[in-house]
Amino acid sequence: MYNLFAFCATRKTVCRRAATSRLMVGFRKWYYNACGFNRLGLMRDDTINEDSDVKEAIRRLPEQVYNDRMFRLKRALDLSMKQQILPKDQWTKHEEDVHYLEPYLEEVVHERKEKEEWAKK
Amino acid sequence: MTGFRGFTHLSVSPLSLSPHCFLLSSNVFKSPLKPVSKLPSGLLVASLENYSPVSKIGVFVKAGSRYETAENLGVTHILRLASNLTTKGASAFRICRGLEAVGASLSVTSSREHMVYSLDCLRDDFEGAMEYLINVTTAPDFRPWELSDLLPRVKIDKAVADQSPQIGVLEKLHEAAYKNALSNSLYCPDHMVGKISVDHFFANNYTSARMALVGLGVSHAAVMKVGEQFFSTHTGFGAPGAVYRGGELRVQSGGGLVHALLACEGAVAGSAEANAFSVLQRLLGVGPHVKRGSNITSKLSQCIAKATTQPFDATAFSATYSDSGLFGVYVISQADSAREVINAAMAQVTAVAEGSLTADDLTRAKTQLMADYLMSLESSEGLLEELGVQVLSSGAYSSPQTVTQSIDAVTSSDVVKAAKKFDESKKTMSCYGHLANTPFVDEL
Repeated sequence: MYNLFAFCATRKTVCRRAATSRLMVGFRKWYYNACGFNRLGLMRDDTINEDSDVKEAIRRLPEQVYNDRMFRLKRALDLSMKQQILPKDQWTKHEEDVHYLEPYLEEVVHERKEKEEWAKK
Repeated sequence: MTGFRGFTHLSVSPLSLSPHCFLLSSNVFKSPLKPVSKLPSGLLVASLENYSPVSKIGVFVKAGSRYETAENLGVTHILRLASNLTTKGASAFRICRGLEAVGASLSVTSSREHMVYSLDCLRDDFEGAMEYLINVTTAPDFRPWELSDLLPRVKIDKAVADQSPQIGVLEKLHEAAYKNALSNSLYCPDHMVGKISVDHFFANNYTSARMALVGLGVSHAAVMKVGEQFFSTHTGFGAPGAVYRGGELRVQSGGGLVHALLACEGAVAGSAEANAFSVLQRLLGVGPHVKRGSNITSKLSQCIAKATTQPFDATAFSATYSDSGLFGVYVISQADSAREVINAAMAQVTAVAEGSLTADDLTRAKTQLMADYLMSLESSEGLLEELGVQVLSSGAYSSPQTVTQSIDAVTSSDVVKAAKKFDESKKTMSCYGHLANTPFVDEL
């Protein structure tokens, strides 16, 4: 179940938006919990597939955010090795999930596209 | 990338100038030098229409290394390298490619008093290229990862400067001569590499009240329109005046030579005393006037040649700033004749102070100074720098005629007085090299 979301969390899926309406909020919470990575204490942006753009965006993270990401990943790997999950009160809640990488990623993609535009000229 | 050069220089005897095209046909062209305008935001705007196909615009900011504080020593070095980083209006890539596309070039120079951003472009591309200059000087983003990518460049700059004894000796002289402000080095100190935050310094010093916008080869109206985009309400902090203390710094670096720079407190830029010091400097000798020639006409060289047969070089040194100045002699000698050479150089200045100065010498020195000055205005870089520094320091400019007249007005008693000042005042010395036989400043 965790693998299913990780597989889906390519950048295209991440960038698509579900409809932002009160009807969809319930569905999104259900889907978030069903994905299951929150049971390992991860956030959505921790599970993103690392291609070159994502790697550059991660390089640009401020130190604190980067350290938090590393900690969460380490904890999740440790739990996965032990075949355990966190107790329910420590699961990441949908409201607490911060898309910290998104602004940096958008910037990186924008810069790359700009370079490609100029290269065409 | 065309023309991204960041380099440092001292401003020496900034006096005024006039456009060289005046000499061509002043009755055909109307006066191209418009009066300096001051915008409500405090920005000073000056322009000179020299009908050249190339425009050159400079933004002069009072953000030299003298305005650094103890918490951010070296920030001007970073800013000097950071001019091509992402701004709010254009990414770093776009600035580079955009300027290249029109064949423009953007360069940054910084001195102890000013940061100068100058842009050369073809006259027709003025509007487009100015957008980049405005972005760089008013709205840089200072992204943390871009600033940390600058660290290798800072280290290279420092390594290159370390290789040059001339730069070392000049920096050490200023460090020894002043207690604050002017003692700050143009290069980032070792302990600050990687630890500098730029935003505070930028916010305090890059305000429109501390800037001047100078254009060569552009119409005044166009420059005024651009000037209106520079606006900021922050007034920034004042800076302390420089306090001269006189001291000594010696750097043992081995090798066979000694570079020694001996100076006293000189005159403030633009004053009559500064003219006297400049004439004295030319009198004593500033290097060969014939390319690759010997220095036999220089008084310093003649005097020192009597004291030693070993090779040496000596020039008089003068630097002026807005509230202080330095004047002295710079000698390069072999390690074991350093004592004789320095003493002989000092003896020569003392001789001038005692009045051994003929009218011929004085006229020659004055003519050389005038010629040097006027020739420095021949190039657009020299012209822009002169115009900008004058406008920023005093809010107005004086024409070259005024300047040459004020040089002419220097009398031999002024020069003798200047030499006496060197003789009697507390000296500063910085030396570099194999210092076993080099006297200390209190032994001179």
